[in-house]
Amino acid sequence: MIRTLRRAALALGLASAIAGVLRLRGTGGTPPQGGGWRELSGPDLR
Amino acid sequence: MRALVVGAGAVGARAARQLVSIDAVSHVGVCDTDDRRAAAVVESLGSDAAFVTGDVTAASLEGVDTVVLAQPGDHRRVAELAIERGADVVSTSDAMSTVKRLLDLDAEATERGRTVVVGGGFSPGLTCVLARHAAEGFDEVDEVHVAKVGTGGPSCARQHHRALSDLAVDWRDGAWARRAGGSGRELVWFPDPVRGVDCYRAGLPDALLLVPAFPDARRITARLGANRRDRLTSWLPMLRPPHPEGGPGAVRVEVRGTQGAAREVRVLGAVDRPAVGAGAVAAVAAWWAVEGRFVRPGAAGLAVLLPDTVPFLAELSRRGVRAAVFEGVSG
Repeated sequence: MIRTLRRAALALGLASAIAGVLRLRGTGGTPPQGGGWRELSGPDLR
Repeated sequence: MRALVVGAGAVGARAARQLVSIDAVSHVGVCDTDDRRAAAVVESLGSDAAFVTGDVTAASLEGVDTVVLAQPGDHRRVAELAIERGADVVSTSDAMSTVKRLLDLDAEATERGRTVVVGGGFSPGLTCVLARHAAEGFDEVDEVHVAKVGTGGPSCARQHHRALSDLAVDWRDGAWARRAGGSGRELVWFPDPVRGVDCYRAGLPDALLLVPAFPDARRITARLGANRRDRLTSWLPMLRPPHPEGGPGAVRVEVRGTQGAAREVRVLGAVDRPAVGAGAVAAVAAWWAVEGRFVRPGAAGLAVLLPDTVPFLAELSRRGVRAAVFEGVSG
């Protein structure tokens, strides 16, 4: 019984660690540091 | 100029409305597998529009100069029928298989002197125009990265769901690289008010349409905005029916290259309801095709077909679909 509980706890721990790694992976994520969006109009479209 | 819009959903209805507002267009026919829906769209458009019953046949294409395909499913059969009957075609499909099958029509369309605009919607479509526009003045284009977020009508939502579990096809160092859909999370910053959205690889056709326009580019990628629930459930059937139409969506195109000795990065984007943007792009592309304003006949994306992006973007701007440029340091 205790062995089963230990295994379940280990599995849950591993799953949490893997989910954490997957969640944290990925590139980018830095918000724009300055500037912003400007609509193209007038001279841009002539 | 006589136009036929196939599909009276969110995109088809918008495309028909845009076509009716073009002076050069004298008549717009609308057909759909649901006759009542097509009739309702026609009724809202006024006297320049007419309801075409049932499926598209050679008879329903009689006298038609341009066909906008906005129905769910494959577009190849109707596109073939249309170019056989002497009409130009604009497809709004963003399904990878449909885009591939339409691009295969290039030789036949060229031989017949007809244009098949493949991916003539919001994304692909506006994204192809923005990529070409961003690359103007570059000596060399190294990388093009496209991202989109948002869906149009129910068919678009279903395609978004499928795309997240499909293989993504990116262009890397002169070869196609296939990666799992839903992988490669990247926080992408779209124009306000959409702003930061997590985007993932997905079965998107943008690279297929952009590689012919940028054959020397090292990397061309496309990503799709999604939340964790979308990713988790992408391999299941849709758990609930899609909404009639999604809210505001956005596209963002980043082009990296060289200009003289300097390395440059240009970022363009647009915010709109995807179906509204797609309808405007499709209608203007259909008009351009009939007037022979593309560089050549054949089947290709707008990045290949447009001789100059400025008049096309100016026309879209007049119709309320406005592009924006990011100015500043993007991190």
